[in-house]
Amino acid sequence: MEFYPLQQPDEIAEREKEDAMGAYLMMFAAVAIGLPLPIINLIASIIYYFINRKKSRFIHFHCVQALLTQIPTTVINWVAVIWGVTILVSDQYEATEMFWAYVVFAGVCTLLYFIVSIVAAYKARQGKMYYFLVFGPWAYQIAYRVRPTDNMQTSEPMNKPPF
Amino acid sequence: MQSKTLRDILVLLTIGAALFAGGYFLVREISKSDYDLSYEVSMEQEEELGNLFKDLIWDKYPTVKENYADTALQQIAKRLVNALDSTQYRYQFTIIKSKEINAFTIPGGNIYVFSGLLELAETPEEVAAVLAHEIGHAEKRHVVTRLINEMSLSAVIAVLSGGDPSVLTQMLQSVISNRFSRENEDEADKFALQLLEDAHISPKSMAKFFQKLNDKNLDYNEDLEFMMTHPHSNKRIDRARKYKTRNNFSAEPFSIDWEKVQKSLNAE
Repeated sequence: MEFYPLQQPDEIAEREKEDAMGAYLMMFAAVAIGLPLPIINLIASIIYYFINRKKSRFIHFHCVQALLTQIPTTVINWVAVIWGVTILVSDQYEATEMFWAYVVFAGVCTLLYFIVSIVAAYKARQGKMYYFLVFGPWAYQIAYRVRPTDNMQTSEPMNKPPF
Repeated sequence: MQSKTLRDILVLLTIGAALFAGGYFLVREISKSDYDLSYEVSMEQEEELGNLFKDLIWDKYPTVKENYADTALQQIAKRLVNALDSTQYRYQFTIIKSKEINAFTIPGGNIYVFSGLLELAETPEEVAAVLAHEIGHAEKRHVVTRLINEMSLSAVIAVLSGGDPSVLTQMLQSVISNRFSRENEDEADKFALQLLEDAHISPKSMAKFFQKLNDKNLDYNEDLEFMMTHPHSNKRIDRARKYKTRNNFSAEPFSIDWEKVQKSLNAE
């Protein structure tokens, strides 16, 4: 499997860096509108991805990474919302310790996600790669993999890949 | 590359599991802290506080003693207390002559049942369910915890050392019209269901009596104090109804003439 070389920070245009950073910041804007329905974040990430993915590989990578990490975060938060609503409306379920433990878990996960997203946005603004666990290498493969249909132009790779 | 991805996934899952376990531990600690508050008052102090309340109740309410209803209540209570694994209380059960449909627990294992509640009940098992619930509040020390929460620990200690009697009256009022938290009610319910089973009394009697209170609440009247302080949601009734007893469980009926109990109450 071949990959396109990674651009160095000084080779990336300012506009590209801003667009890459926007992939993470878009989520914060969406949080304000979306809470307590976390699906809005995911929709915002999907829209942002489709608008920006073809601009450059650097932007594509950050958009994919932001989008992929949105999926588990959204699922975790949605489970909490659905579980909570079920407890409120149904006589069959009650707010057990397990439920509250899950709420704490979802809250901490979301907080951690916010923190790493801020770091990633900062790195993207500097024109740097920043790889999340699991999702980073995955996004790299999606954005930088050479497809058989691509017409690859080689140059010296200096910005390090995740593996 | 694949092994690194697998390692990363494992790391991520471990972090997730650790976060969840941490959350569970935190929630357990928080829910335990409410109970721990009761340890601020020793069992001796609780008994002393209960004696002060008893004197006040004696002055304020007429009680029913030495008639068939009282004998029946003691018989029901004895069955329940004997079924407790262990207890630090010397339980006392008293009937208060009042049309109110209520029962309450004061510190020190003293449980009061209003005659209105006994008149509403159709079987001794239904009364046993109420008593088991009140024993649950006592065993879990909900009353003391509630008093400390509402009046502060220093107020409780001050009353014990002969402080302002009006505070004691205020405390009694709080105990009688005590609205326990939903968690406390649930805990007392679960305790009661287990106790009823251990005492060979059908836990279904709890659902039956709670349903009766719920139905009566549709036509609310001010005597229905127990209903107001112990809101019986369908969830609680359902839990009692669906409670699974042991396979070898068999209910042992009380040898109490319930009609005679009701007549003796009316004769008072």
